[in-house]
Amino acid sequence: MKRRSTLSVGLMMSASLLVLSACEEPRVEASVYESVEQCKRDPIGDPDQCESNFKEAKAQHTAVAPKYASKEDCAADFGAEKCEQAPYQSSTGGSIFMPLMAGYMMGSLLGGGRRMGSQPLYRSTSSPGTFRTADNKSAGSTTGRTQVARSATSRPSVKNTTMKRGGFGSSGRRFGSAAT
Amino acid sequence: MRRIPVNERPDLMRAASEHGLEYSASDGITGWDESAYYQFSMREIEEDLEAPAEELEGMCLEIVDRAVTNDSVLQRLGIPEHFWDFIAKSWQNGDKNLYGRMDISYDGNGPAKLLEYNADTPTALYETSVFQWEWFEQATELGLIPEGSDQLNDVHETIVKSFPFLGIKGISHFACNSEIEDDKGTLQYLEECAQEAGLETCFLAMADIGLDDNGRFTDLDDRAITTLIKLYPWEWIMGEEFGRQVPRADVQFIEPAWKAILSNKGLMPLLWGMFEGHPNLLPAYFEDDPAVAELIDAGRYVRKPMLSRQGANIEIVEDGETSYKSDGPYSEDAHIIQGFHPLFEHDGHYPLIGCWLVASKAVGLCIREDKTLVTGKDSLVVPHVIID
Repeated sequence: MKRRSTLSVGLMMSASLLVLSACEEPRVEASVYESVEQCKRDPIGDPDQCESNFKEAKAQHTAVAPKYASKEDCAADFGAEKCEQAPYQSSTGGSIFMPLMAGYMMGSLLGGGRRMGSQPLYRSTSSPGTFRTADNKSAGSTTGRTQVARSATSRPSVKNTTMKRGGFGSSGRRFGSAAT
Repeated sequence: MRRIPVNERPDLMRAASEHGLEYSASDGITGWDESAYYQFSMREIEEDLEAPAEELEGMCLEIVDRAVTNDSVLQRLGIPEHFWDFIAKSWQNGDKNLYGRMDISYDGNGPAKLLEYNADTPTALYETSVFQWEWFEQATELGLIPEGSDQLNDVHETIVKSFPFLGIKGISHFACNSEIEDDKGTLQYLEECAQEAGLETCFLAMADIGLDDNGRFTDLDDRAITTLIKLYPWEWIMGEEFGRQVPRADVQFIEPAWKAILSNKGLMPLLWGMFEGHPNLLPAYFEDDPAVAELIDAGRYVRKPMLSRQGANIEIVEDGETSYKSDGPYSEDAHIIQGFHPLFEHDGHYPLIGCWLVASKAVGLCIREDKTLVTGKDSLVVPHVIID
């Protein structure tokens, strides 16, 4: 049989639209803390894990935090007192700024024994009560054991300051479609 | 293989709007014609198309395996030296390929002949995998095609099933020339397939890609791009300003860089050189190869630029005279000469058979008809059925 599955195309397309809708996103268990100390005070927490998860999140902070070419730009998003200078310079020698870590989200067990990685969290001036991942996904405003959207638990991407755009696209402007 | 006229479904305008395809009262759906279909026997599909396409795919992979360590081949294909190691590494690391479309001349009599391999930026994907399938289901329901008909079309499922095996970590970025609606539509469909497979995706224009201070490519949120699924040819990428950064940018590309060897029409002489006389190949030579005299002297051949798109700059010579010549922007570029094997003609239609390979398996057919021997951008996709 060459025929593909009996799932009709109509059903298939609407199913994929559901996936796109954020409010349908499944939620997963996670633990959110402002500091190691807060984690250790939590009776359900394991002090050793508090420590190791914090280290794991802190180690990612420099790489994954949003980056800015000026202190003002960083302050506009995170507040003047909530920004720090990155421990490296741009390739042209300029300073780079990033928000301070405002907390961390601890790894918990996901299905199938896989462990979710720990990651740093930030708070922006636009919604100061909400923890956000380095990829700007909400991790809620509660500390301790909580539930977050599954996408918030994915590994945050590495961020640097984009120095230049527009280095691709010229052939497309000349030739048009890429179709073959 | 037969071409059979058939009634169109009653509400084509609605079908077009549901799928975001262009429609006009005079021409119907842009790029699509369901006033006929092609009928194949199961033997024709399995023995004449599916099996040869997979055998050809294996031969193509052998070509890549040899070419990546042969600088003179890469040079002959016009690939800039800056990318030779990068391409070789993409092959040696086992970078995964997703899809491609082989263009084949076949009329039900004699072996199918490979004309070229659109291995990097194939289109008519949505028309093949979704729209053609929907036609098949509705035409069956409406009794427009014989009961028990079938269609070679596992494209959608195979793409969705393949995504988890591409080794993608983190977000998949999808990029093309966003000013071309067709390209955008094709790539958005691929993005939906990735989402159906559970991947996190982000769509952007090639022109919006940034370069950060660590030499990595970034999206509009300054996130480093780690996987780029591009509908943008390798030869364009390699020739543009950011192209030089590509080998150092630590990006997984789909299609991978080694596909630059297969999407080049120089593939045809390379295949003929390695597998001369294979029933599914036509003789082909680089234009500057003295062996080309065999075809030129016979006065029956096709001259094609090594890198051209949508039937541009193709010349057909019969009885020593040019019988067809298309315009285009590639006339100054290097060319190949290939034996002429005319497409089957039916009432002024010339069907070109596109065989879709997903993860190197032949999983679908799309037939494009043109009013000339060269299938260009005005060709129409015509559906097919299998009846045994």
